[in-house]
Amino acid sequence: MNGIRKKVSVADLLGVFLRSLLLQASWSFERMQSLGFAFAIEPVLKKLYPEVAEYEARLHRHMEYFNTQPYLASFILGAVVRMEEERTASLHASDDAAGLKSALMAPLGALGDSFFWGALKPLAAAGAVALIMTGYWWAPLLFLAFYNVWHLGLRVAMLFLGYTSGGNAVELMTRFGFMKMAKRFKVITLTILGGIIAMAPDWRPEFQPNATMPVPFLMVLWLAAVLALVAILRRGGSPIKLMLGLAALCLALAYAGVIV
Amino acid sequence: MFDTHMILSIAAVAFFGAVIGLDRTAVGQCMVSQPIVAGPLTGWMLGDPAAGIIIGAVLELIWVLDMPVGTFVPADATISAVSATAIAVMGGAGGAPLPLIGFCILLTVTMVPVTMKADSIVRHWNSRLTDAVMAASGEDAGRALVRAHLTGLSAFYVKSVLLYLVFLPLGVAAVYLFKQLPENVHRAMSLFVKLLPLLGIALVVRKLSMNMIDLFLLSGFAIAAVAGHFFHGQAFIMLLLVVSGGWLGARFREWHS
Repeated sequence: MNGIRKKVSVADLLGVFLRSLLLQASWSFERMQSLGFAFAIEPVLKKLYPEVAEYEARLHRHMEYFNTQPYLASFILGAVVRMEEERTASLHASDDAAGLKSALMAPLGALGDSFFWGALKPLAAAGAVALIMTGYWWAPLLFLAFYNVWHLGLRVAMLFLGYTSGGNAVELMTRFGFMKMAKRFKVITLTILGGIIAMAPDWRPEFQPNATMPVPFLMVLWLAAVLALVAILRRGGSPIKLMLGLAALCLALAYAGVIV
Repeated sequence: MFDTHMILSIAAVAFFGAVIGLDRTAVGQCMVSQPIVAGPLTGWMLGDPAAGIIIGAVLELIWVLDMPVGTFVPADATISAVSATAIAVMGGAGGAPLPLIGFCILLTVTMVPVTMKADSIVRHWNSRLTDAVMAASGEDAGRALVRAHLTGLSAFYVKSVLLYLVFLPLGVAAVYLFKQLPENVHRAMSLFVKLLPLLGIALVVRKLSMNMIDLFLLSGFAIAAVAGHFFHGQAFIMLLLVVSGGWLGARFREWHS
């Protein structure tokens, strides 16, 4: 940014962050997050382009198709703000914001889905469920706190990194190491799930079987049941079908007199 | 069956549940809409947080890896959790028993395809919003954008309110019928709740691990089983030990590969 008059302030970037929380408010099949993207940077565009015709053109330009993982969109938003700022300083005469967006949205989408949806969320959920099942009523609060420290912290950090790096994805990968963290989180989640099964003697009474049985037998029985269900799932089947199947099995057991 | 208190409760859940539901897609995605939070919140609002906690925990594991990737519209786990909790508490009248909780969870499972269809309709409808903004010119373009964007937000909200206003009365009526069913059905629903966490665990394991028998799952089991001998009744300490074991396992795998 040397030699360029800086027009975008930290407050402007924080404004973009707040508006980015509504990125998907008008999510549609046709253009997905396009309106949300334009909505997030609209105040910055207004500031950068005082001339109405130019402002309108830039706003419409940012309403083209856009879709990525909503948290990682922060990085792209930061980069686009930087690009628009440089454009007004005549450093970017050509309009390559569209190119930047289309180059980043697919890979960052895959990265964000894998880390946030596929690793962080199940980890937070597994930990909270483990605590709930053993009687800790405040576990949902822990779930929210743990998840959002990562979520909101990274969202703000990525916005500023996108702005300062100008959308340098390599710097993003180097700084945060999402792939490595996703793998670690998945391993820890699996370990917690195994732990939940072995904590069966400490489960809330609602989840305890009616029949009394030796603790080691109960733990091994539940582990075997989980492994059997995993084997069934590998042959296909949606959660809905499995839940209906499980209900049917429970009815059959009740009418067969197996459960009392 | 539907007295004034019940009607007010249904309306309150519909408006409150729809606000929570905005977090799913439209606003923030801070996970307030996850069953593990939405269930207890609904239960707390209606005076039976325990029912919400049980329903939330069970549904969380079932739906946690149903991800909104690309154009895929995942099951609306928020509506499931809020509806199941509200129907169980309102139908239970002073504490939802376990069989009723099981029945309500099952009931909301059947609602899932409807919620997915409704979500798709809203997302198709939202496609029209861009045209209104493109038609606006000058300084009005910004105002038109804000209007269109917030209209999309409202569409998500109204969709949820309408679904609750349909599901909740139907659910309460279904609970009335459920209470007339034989004792065996009640026993079956009680067992259903007890087994659902195992199904939830299996669903997550299936998606996180490529192996039929995952070594990290077994490691967690072994750590907790051994720790249970020393820290029986202290689940938080056991969980910390399991998490530490998982972390070491992950580092070992990185080092080994």
